Amino acid sequence: MGTVKVGLIQFFSITLLFELGTALVVNLGMAAGRDAWLSILIGSAGGIGVFAGYAYLYRKYPELPFTAYTRKVLGKYIGTPVALIYVILYINLAARDLRDGSTMLAMATMHNTPLFILSMLMILSSAYVLHKGFEVLTRTSLVFLLLVLLIGLFSTLMLMFSGSINLNRLLPMLEDGVEPVIRSVLHQNYMFPFGEMIAFTMLMPFLSNVKKGPWVIAGAMLVSALMLSFTMALNISVLGDDIVERSPLPLMPTISKISISDFIQRVDIFVVMVLIIGVFFKISVFFAAALIGISDLFGIPYRKMLYPCTLIILFTSMLDARSFTEHLDEGGRLLYTVYPFLMIAIPAVLILVSVLKSYFSAPRPG
Amino acid sequence: MDTKGQWKRSAKAAHTDQTVSQTGRQPGLSFELSESLAGIQSELGNSPDLIIRQIQLGGPLRIQAAAVHLSGLADTSAVNQFVIGSLLGNMEGLFMDSEEGGIDEGRLPAMILNRALEIGEAEIKEEWKEMMLAVLSGDTVILLDGYATSILCATRGGEWRSVGEPSSQLVVRGPKDGFVESVATNISLIRRRIKSPKLHLEYMKIGSETQTLVALMYVKDIAGEDLISEVRERLGKIAMNEVLESGYIEELIQDKTFTPFPTIYNTERPDVAAGNLLEGRVVIIVDGTPFVLILPAVFTQFFQSAEDYSQRFDIAILMRVVRYMSFIVLILGPSVYISLTTYHYEMIPTTLLINLLAQRENVPFPALVEALLMEGAFEILREAGVRMPRVIGQTVSVVGALILGSAVVEAGIITPIMVIVVALTGIASFAIPAYNMSIAGRLIRFAFLLLAGMFGFYGVILGLIVMVAHMNSLRSFGVPYLSPFVPLSVKGQKDTILRLPLWLMTPRKSPQQMRAELPEFMRLTTGNEELLAPLIGKAGRPPETAEGDQPDEQ
Repeated sequence: MGTVKVGLIQFFSITLLFELGTALVVNLGMAAGRDAWLSILIGSAGGIGVFAGYAYLYRKYPELPFTAYTRKVLGKYIGTPVALIYVILYINLAARDLRDGSTMLAMATMHNTPLFILSMLMILSSAYVLHKGFEVLTRTSLVFLLLVLLIGLFSTLMLMFSGSINLNRLLPMLEDGVEPVIRSVLHQNYMFPFGEMIAFTMLMPFLSNVKKGPWVIAGAMLVSALMLSFTMALNISVLGDDIVERSPLPLMPTISKISISDFIQRVDIFVVMVLIIGVFFKISVFFAAALIGISDLFGIPYRKMLYPCTLIILFTSMLDARSFTEHLDEGGRLLYTVYPFLMIAIPAVLILVSVLKSYFSAPRPG
Repeated sequence: MDTKGQWKRSAKAAHTDQTVSQTGRQPGLSFELSESLAGIQSELGNSPDLIIRQIQLGGPLRIQAAAVHLSGLADTSAVNQFVIGSLLGNMEGLFMDSEEGGIDEGRLPAMILNRALEIGEAEIKEEWKEMMLAVLSGDTVILLDGYATSILCATRGGEWRSVGEPSSQLVVRGPKDGFVESVATNISLIRRRIKSPKLHLEYMKIGSETQTLVALMYVKDIAGEDLISEVRERLGKIAMNEVLESGYIEELIQDKTFTPFPTIYNTERPDVAAGNLLEGRVVIIVDGTPFVLILPAVFTQFFQSAEDYSQRFDIAILMRVVRYMSFIVLILGPSVYISLTTYHYEMIPTTLLINLLAQRENVPFPALVEALLMEGAFEILREAGVRMPRVIGQTVSVVGALILGSAVVEAGIITPIMVIVVALTGIASFAIPAYNMSIAGRLIRFAFLLLAGMFGFYGVILGLIVMVAHMNSLRSFGVPYLSPFVPLSVKGQKDTILRLPLWLMTPRKSPQQMRAELPEFMRLTTGNEELLAPLIGKAGRPPETAEGDQPDEQ
């Protein structure tokens, strides 16, 4: 890829924000009941395992994005359609996240603003930032990661001081055995949010350090898993698993429990801020992945396809489903039908083929 | 970014230059004195301030000569005493000497230069253009009948404003001298602070009509070689007719034009310029303006004041934090108020909310309109305050603002809280040391106002993301604008929001060492140094090595 290189700290921050993204505010892994935090941790282990595969491919072709080495490994005739599918996948993921984000925003605060306007503002900001380049996006993420972490720290302290945390709500652990946890992991948690790291196969060529880069990203995944798990545990210990399970955005009621002498209260705007920042960076990463894919596949300059792509994402997100329920249902089905195929099966095939290729083409001694 | 445009501009200018030299007078002087003088007169349009003094040189040759200068630009006493005086007085001796060594008429101008002129800076030039430029800059030109050469004597003078306290960037503690409009004076103000041979100076002339003298200063070995050559190249590409202020130069050499944020720092304070030179930056001084450019400039620099280094470091940190906070208040204050009262009123504590709603009861406008009205009125007041004659002064603007503020509330057009918010943002804008950064904040504030009015916090946060991304895309001569925050550098944090003690900023010295490196007799003792550290005993070095190695931070 081009000469633009992105430092490790910036990559760490964009990965962290990408993973936290929407996952921080939704009721992640609640199929496991009050052991949701455990299922997130196990899911992250799976996710990091999958990422190890992506990292292997990256080490093998450190200069190429996913769409380029697909064609290299599978040949021009099979590789090009596969690469095209991935571009569509990224656009679709960006659009789905856009819909998620703007609907959640509408639910949380902006009750009267039309969804289309909310989405448009979001995707236009994203387009502007990407117009400045991927490097600018990662640098911006560093600033906002700091903001998110500060908000997290502040909220946690405030929750502690207002005495809303009751750790007994997390007990008993594994009441129904390991089975619900495993089911939740298999249904959701190894894929969401960690399987979405597939977008980074497009971005890793920008890494400034081939050796340390994948480790840094894996580290960011681990940190994000800990933070997500901590947040979920916090939610459950404040609200109890019953409320968390029924609430679409459990972090909101959790934070609104903060009340310190009637002065600091109702700080749920912080959750909205985290939500906006998370959604923004998540969309932007998918958007960037799609753009890099298009420019790599069709040889069109990156900036030329920016605004057409913006329109496509905006309209896909609006036309994707008639209601949010339908949208969620669709997402749930995609999560264990299409995504595993694209995020695990095809990369696995690529690894296999490339290993075989290098095995057979390697010069044999003697 | 803008190099293409600059290329085009310079190509065009080169073309006009050529045409001028073709249609204008041919370079080279005439051997006839009268012809040369007539040429000068006609080229200046028989200007009455052109003074031509015709002299007959003494000695055997009896050569007709003339001294030409522009009154007002040249220092009259210097012209009288050193140029005309030496032409009239020293000639006999000159020719007596030359008779001994043999008369060589061809060497007459050189002999006058070498042996007669009692002036420090003089040279022989044969180009017509150079001679004209010298006359227009205030130099005196000596022309001799029968020689196609001219002797240029540096007699630049005339009236300048004297060095006084700078009108912007005031400090409570610190030097009170400020730059003036003369390049030479400004350079001397800097040179007095940095007595190092490494302080280099380059001159160039920019502006095809104004021929403005632009000086480039840097400290060799500290300022990067690529930075200096880049600055030189960008300055060289400027092709404008007029350069009247350093703002002209700033606009043409900055990396990016479409941004509200300044990417080149300007100052009126020589101590700031000297400090920045020692930190490896380049200083550009433009003739005719007291505002000196410093580059590259990053975001944090606009929040630093010269005083930070003269106050204790903990106080300085407090002051800096206040400045950053006031910048945030400036850009976000009214927009946060609008989003709270329009979209997120559940966040306001209940008693305050009741109070607010009671106030808003009798106000006809939505909060956005209220804010736009009030901010607009405030901007008008401020602009009027700047342009107002000094006599009417500050009182009128303050009284006007107060009366307007209270009347507007009593008339029920604006809520009192909005007046408070607007006043707060207005005061916050004055807390930022750099004026151009505070203007940038004022401009951005309106964008956030609109976003908040339409989308509440959602718009504000997206606006913030876009703003930070925009700042991240900026570079000042290759330096990322938000460094050392993004890209993060821990070493760079020593002098950003924090201002660490000076002895921590220099990598190798602790205060004990700094004191101990002085020769024994100069050392100040507190009386209990033995208790402080073992370093003092060890660092007792011979005075030769300590010489000239004293801390020279600011």
